[in-house]
This record gives sequence, C-alpha cells and structure tokens, in this order.
Amino acid sequence: MSHDYFIWMSYGAAAIAVAAELVALRIGRARALRKVEEERELEAQD
Amino acid sequence: MNWFFFSSPPTFYRLAGWMAPMFFISAAVLTAAGLYTGFVVAPTDAQQGEVYRIIFIHVPAAWMSMFLYFVMACYGAASLTFNTRLSAMMARAIAPTGALFTVLALWSGAFWGRPTWGTYWAWDARMTSELVLLFLYVGFIALANAFEDPRRGDRASALLAIIGLVNLPIIYFSVKWWNTLHQGSSVSFKGTSMHTAMLWGMLLMALACWAYAIGAALVRVRSIILVREARARWVREIAA
Repeated sequence: MSHDYFIWMSYGAAAIAVAAELVALRIGRARALRKVEEERELEAQD
Repeated sequence: MNWFFFSSPPTFYRLAGWMAPMFFISAAVLTAAGLYTGFVVAPTDAQQGEVYRIIFIHVPAAWMSMFLYFVMACYGAASLTFNTRLSAMMARAIAPTGALFTVLALWSGAFWGRPTWGTYWAWDARMTSELVLLFLYVGFIALANAFEDPRRGDRASALLAIIGLVNLPIIYFSVKWWNTLHQGSSVSFKGTSMHTAMLWGMLLMALACWAYAIGAALVRVRSIILVREARARWVREIAA
C-alpha cells in the first residue's frame, strides 16, 4: 500500500476532527445563548 | 497585578471573546507555515521515506494531549483549593480538546505504525498509557456532567483529574522504563538528532496546536460561563 494513504489518513482525520470540534463549539454557543434566552423569558413570566 | 480580577466570570468572558480569534488566526498561520516546512522544506527520511511526515501531526498531538491534561488538572486543583468557579469551568473547557488531541495522537500513531512496524496497534507501554489518558479524559467529561449540581461535578472531576496526573510520567518515561515498540524521544532538553527543517516543522505544528487548543478552550469556556451564569444580570445584558 502506498505511503500516501497513511499520510492522508492521518492528516485527513486531523482536519475532520478540528472541523467537527469547531462545529461543536458553534452549536454549544447557540445552545448557551438559547438557555440565557429561556431564563430571561422565565423571569419575565414571573 | 491582581490575578483574581481575571477570575471573575464577566471579566474573563469579555477577555476570552477578545483573545480567541487571535489564537485561531495564529493557529491557521502557524499550521500553514508548519505544513509548508514539513512537506516542502523538510527532506525525505533516509529510512522511512515519506511516511515519516506523519510526525508533524503525531508528535504535536501527543504533546498537546499530555500538556492539556496537566493544565486541566492544575485548573481542577485550583478550583478545589481556592473554590474559584472559573477554574472549574476552564478544566471543563479544556477536556474535550485534550481528548481530541489524544484521539489524534493514537490515530496518527496507528497509521504510522502500520507501514513502519507492520501493525496498527500493539499493547506497548507508550500506546497503552496514551489510551489510558483517553479514558481519563472521557471519565473526566462523564463525571463532570454526571451530577445535577454542577459544583459537585466540578469537585468530583477535579479529583479524578488530579489522581490521573500519575499517568503523565508513565506516558513520558514508558519508552525508558520498558522495552517498547515505540521509539524513544527524538527531542529532549539535551538536544535532538533530527534534521533542522524536520525539527522546525514539528515545532511550528506544535505551536499551531497550542494556539488552536487555547482558542477552542476560550470559546468553549464562554459558552460554559453563559450557561452557569444564565441568571446573572450581566449575562442577560450581553445576550439582549
């Protein structure tokens, strides 16, 4: 098997992992803002 | 300088928001420079050929996996000692990125091992202790989120992180203490046996990983602060 395969599998996985983490960070941020919004609405109802 | 000023969540939230983009930009620039040095400038290895170029992701990822664990445990110890909320939040923010680098170190190691050793995996002391590190990260994340009261989760996970510190010298010295399939360190405080371009490629990539990890931890800790402090007035003013 060509050495290119092993190199691509290593760097490709790293790129995918970093991209996935960046997406997860965005989702986490959106969730956190939603939570703050919910708290604000709850307080407004009280 | 009063360092406790920065341990205030509102202060740190704003500071992290200002610093995170700079770390991400630095990470991108350093990655480009590191890949150029590693793939264009650095020569082909006499014994391994081109496949040695996995070193430019494998070694920085392995370094970061251990370094981030150490920093995470330090934050855990600080949260237990000083009862600072932000320390516990930082420990939580670092854990997923540390786990990611551990996975990358194991994964790239496997794809380097196959063409050079003839196997993807061996129950070798270095590889096994690195796998234990991954379990420690996963255990930390699971324990931190296992309690309804986040402060209890903070304390339990901090304790686990501190106990798990014992694994770091085992990983580092495993290649000296046991006869391992894994090679010894190429770089140490005494010097290196590597070609200068190879060394520079590796160091640039290590700096890139470092900058990325700080940026990711800062972005994550901002989300954690928002959730934890959701009832605070300053958070509502920010989100408004």
